[in-house]
Amino acid sequence: MNKFLTFLSTVRWQDLVDIVINSYILFRVYVLFQGTNAFRVLVGITSLWILQEVAASMGLILTSWAVRGITAAAAIIIIVVFRNEIRSVLQVRNLKAFLWGSPRREQQAPVEVIVDSIYQLGKKRIGALIVFPGKEDLAEVVHGGIQWDGTVSREMLYSIFWPKNPVHDGAIIIRDNRVAEVGVLLPLSQRQDLPSYYGTRHRAAAGLAERTDALIVAVSEERGRVTVAQGNFIKPVAQPEELSHLLKKHLNFQDRINGHEHKRETLKLILAGVTSLLVMTGIWFGFTRSQDTVIALNVPIEYVNRPPIYEIMDTSVDEIRLQLYGSSALIKSLRAGQVQLKIDLSKATEGRNVFPITQENIILPPGIFLNKVQPTSIEVILDVPVTKELPVQVDWTGKLPEHLMLVSAAVTPESLKVIGGGKILEKAGTIYTTPVRLDHLTKSGTVTASIVLTPPSLKLASGSSDRVTIHFRVQERPKADRR
Amino acid sequence: MVPFSRRLLWFWLLPLWIGAAAVLAVSAQEPAQEAPGESATAKLALVQSSMCEKVENLAPVRPAIAFSVSVGQVYCFSAFEPVPQPTLIYHRWYHRDELSTQTRLRLYPPKWSTYSVIQLRETDKGAWRVEITDQDGRVFGVLRFSITD
Repeated sequence: MNKFLTFLSTVRWQDLVDIVINSYILFRVYVLFQGTNAFRVLVGITSLWILQEVAASMGLILTSWAVRGITAAAAIIIIVVFRNEIRSVLQVRNLKAFLWGSPRREQQAPVEVIVDSIYQLGKKRIGALIVFPGKEDLAEVVHGGIQWDGTVSREMLYSIFWPKNPVHDGAIIIRDNRVAEVGVLLPLSQRQDLPSYYGTRHRAAAGLAERTDALIVAVSEERGRVTVAQGNFIKPVAQPEELSHLLKKHLNFQDRINGHEHKRETLKLILAGVTSLLVMTGIWFGFTRSQDTVIALNVPIEYVNRPPIYEIMDTSVDEIRLQLYGSSALIKSLRAGQVQLKIDLSKATEGRNVFPITQENIILPPGIFLNKVQPTSIEVILDVPVTKELPVQVDWTGKLPEHLMLVSAAVTPESLKVIGGGKILEKAGTIYTTPVRLDHLTKSGTVTASIVLTPPSLKLASGSSDRVTIHFRVQERPKADRR
Repeated sequence: MVPFSRRLLWFWLLPLWIGAAAVLAVSAQEPAQEAPGESATAKLALVQSSMCEKVENLAPVRPAIAFSVSVGQVYCFSAFEPVPQPTLIYHRWYHRDELSTQTRLRLYPPKWSTYSVIQLRETDKGAWRVEITDQDGRVFGVLRFSITD
């Protein structure tokens, strides 16, 4: 019990916020995608991933590799195949709807008018095909629609499906209380189990229902029968009340849905919320609280609050080796830059300063802990920067041909201004060039060479070139002197 | 730091007795009105200096600015004129910016040539300079050269 309480006391408020935010994200994903085909496939992929983890933990090498491959492929496929569904979910009208919108999206369709019109059409043996979209986007599935955008009324529905009307053969799409499109061509179902008396209109209704979450109402021209297709079912609906109920359910008319179903929906959402919270808490503890992995990192040192009058002239080390531990997932995701080591120079003085490296100097991402530091202190030498003019000397190297002597050399410019620590420059008497080889010199001439500043903390003053020109003179060695 | 005594071949006192009478004359003309030390040194002037492979007959032989380590030794030759009074000067040899050795040399009026020399080793390769200074650190001249393969 004590152990549990100690464990709880280590949980920070940030951790709670972390869990709540991610639980809500998971919950919203469920709410936004529930009922769509994409959601079902997402659940399938998650199951595959769990299976792969189980297989890996049991040491089933081939199975885990195979499942991993399938999961990776499926994840790509889901994005490509269900791009429209994903888009329609993400393209909500506003941020509020995205973050807070109720899944029971109500449509303001005049259901009674529509139902009445449908049965009137049936009585008059006028064929009709009416689509009520769900959450999914239909754009990729249907073709040939003509924009209509008219308010739904009995007269409008009769006139659209009147046999002499040029657009009477296609389907209409009703969104809210508007006829959005007319003359829409729907995909035909390829099912073999449909009754033989079902014509093209019914096959079109079944085809769209199979591919999307829309509800489609078909009115038979021959028999005047009203048929409803949704998902994989297609059935005749004889009573207007039943059609009205189906439509209201589909359009989320919650005040008119019976209390039992409303309670069931609410319970489902509460369950989803609790599940999200439990899943995220589990994932969070698994990620951050297991401390099974140790890693050693070389971290560069960042110096802050340096008094402006001083320059850092030298440091005992450039990097500190940190031994860190945490859960393997966090350790694996650790990137350069997430771990920082800062030395505060605000109280440093001129000359040598020793700073012990403690936990306070090290910034670690949440869930990662410090085990060891190497070295445990750092020496920093600060100095006041000064400018000094130093003569340039050529660093000749190699071997001059035996018969020649290098008798003189003039460097242009003869001297350069250098900026560096006062103490360092006090000792510095010369700037040297990069080594200039003698091996290929056969006659007097000119070469150029770069400047090498040692130690590297020295810098050339602005305007000073980092290259110099060397005019040199060689002459023949007296024959008597040649070795 | 290598002890100076181990590194050096001392070549002392290579006087140029040019006109002993002149010495006397100068001494007479510029008597002891001037105090020894700073004022005397101020008039001391370096008239010739060079790095060379050898010194023969009080003159540098094969002066150069790069010497193969196989030469074995390298000389720093310096000539002063006038030399108002017996004076000490130094040849300070620097390998890069590290003082490697220094040689104390005595000058005698009225003019004097003198030199110092170091033996070369493989580890001596690189850039060198010799500063010719007086006792107070006043620099008469700097000679720069390299020891190469």
